[in-house]
Amino acid sequence: MNTAVVSNILKYTVNRCLRAQNVIKIAAASAPVFKRDVHTTKPNNDLMEFFDVKKNWGETNIRVGRGWRLDELRIKSNSDLHKLWYVLLKERNMLYTMEHECKRQTRLFPNPERIDKVQESMDNIETVIRERNVAYYKLETGETGERPVEDVVNLFGLPEKYEKKEHFIPKFMNTRWVKSYYEHGFVNSAAVKKFMRLYKEKQYNVERKARNRDFNHVQHLLKRFPNMDMEALKAEYPDVDIEKAKRTKKARGHFMPKY
Amino acid sequence: MRIYGFLGKKVGDLTVKYSNFPESYVKRSYEQVYWKNPSNYPQYPKAQIARKQYRFTTNRPWTGQFRLQNDRNMHRKKVFVEPVGEWSFFKGDRVEIMVGKDKGKQGIISQVIQERNWVIVEGLNTHLRVVGKDKKFPGITIQSEAPLLVTTDVKLVDPETLKPTEFQWRYTEEGDKVRVSMASSRIIPIPKSSEETMDFKSKELYIENVEKDTTADAAVKVTFAPKLKTFEMDIMEEMGIKEDRVPAKSYWY
Repeated sequence: MNTAVVSNILKYTVNRCLRAQNVIKIAAASAPVFKRDVHTTKPNNDLMEFFDVKKNWGETNIRVGRGWRLDELRIKSNSDLHKLWYVLLKERNMLYTMEHECKRQTRLFPNPERIDKVQESMDNIETVIRERNVAYYKLETGETGERPVEDVVNLFGLPEKYEKKEHFIPKFMNTRWVKSYYEHGFVNSAAVKKFMRLYKEKQYNVERKARNRDFNHVQHLLKRFPNMDMEALKAEYPDVDIEKAKRTKKARGHFMPKY
Repeated sequence: MRIYGFLGKKVGDLTVKYSNFPESYVKRSYEQVYWKNPSNYPQYPKAQIARKQYRFTTNRPWTGQFRLQNDRNMHRKKVFVEPVGEWSFFKGDRVEIMVGKDKGKQGIISQVIQERNWVIVEGLNTHLRVVGKDKKFPGITIQSEAPLLVTTDVKLVDPETLKPTEFQWRYTEEGDKVRVSMASSRIIPIPKSSEETMDFKSKELYIENVEKDTTADAAVKVTFAPKLKTFEMDIMEEMGIKEDRVPAKSYWY
């Protein structure tokens, strides 16, 4: 075995030296072994596919249409979506490359909203495919077939959506997985309780401030626009007691009261 | 976790529609986030430091002027905007001006700025503005329109009597939502020019970019045929990929 390893090392070293000396000869000799088809597209384009076509390089405005919407993707077959995904992926790569290149040359990248349009389309494709797969699994197995998600209380005592992971051994055998729970203490520990108390206080203050801010804002609105559409106001600030806000001094405006 | 509501839903729907940009782009073009905690780490709360108040003016949120007006060190007085409920003034509407030196004149809305309850009426409510003034050059005087508040300063014009009128949103028997004039009970139609965006006057008049855009025919073509397969199964079959290995037993937790 030892000799085999040594001979292997020798062989590779020799190969490496040869490669350095005469690349072409080796490549020609070992073509059927090492040659791989990098391109799956018909035209064998090179790395310049990461860039836009040369015509667009100096352009200041490259106007394109909108992204694909969900309803337009729902009428497309799976293979169409598959192809469209790669078209969009290549376009996104191209856009990122061009943006980076423009940054490097301190030039303005024309129409950066194209990135968002492509990204939105790709997200929509994922949504449509997920819909189709969920429909299949629900019909066949009665489950969604998605990654299972559980509502748990995490180590800080906060509610969390835990995305379950796939393991090769069951939970009771997996000491490493359980260990973190033992080490960090349980949700009922004193540290977690203290943390939760302070956290809740902070949350409460945030809510209280938002409430006061809204109430003040409504008072000022009432002062400025006394003939305002009250239903619209109620719809925009549902938590504010408008009748109470009307009675306050801040909402009165600069005039003598009639009574 | 706390959600940063102060960054959400500030730009009006009509502004986004007019820009013809994805909403995410409009948002990222105007918002100023100075610090954001890294995401997907349990030790970091979902927090960020960002500008909270933006001054919306006639400058559109994605422009450089907007950015200049909302410079990092620029802090301006809060503007109180009256809530109006459903928005009912669109580009191309005929309105009568109720205040100012052009009071009683009628004009066409040329721009809508929903964030401030403003409309700009073409050629009315103007002031003179000198641009390009220099030591050697006296500058050019141009007329520029000032915005008008939709709540008090303008009123929609009744199509029959051509007088300013109150209106209501109602449903027709077909279920379309329309504006109905209170003076003559006539429908005030929403003008065609309200469809106008930065890129095209109306959807039909959009000129396709031959290299980048999918043609309309290809986009509306229905190629979907329902199959009892997942996406992956379908693609594998089409590409001739055979998979007969049985996955090992696994546990999800």
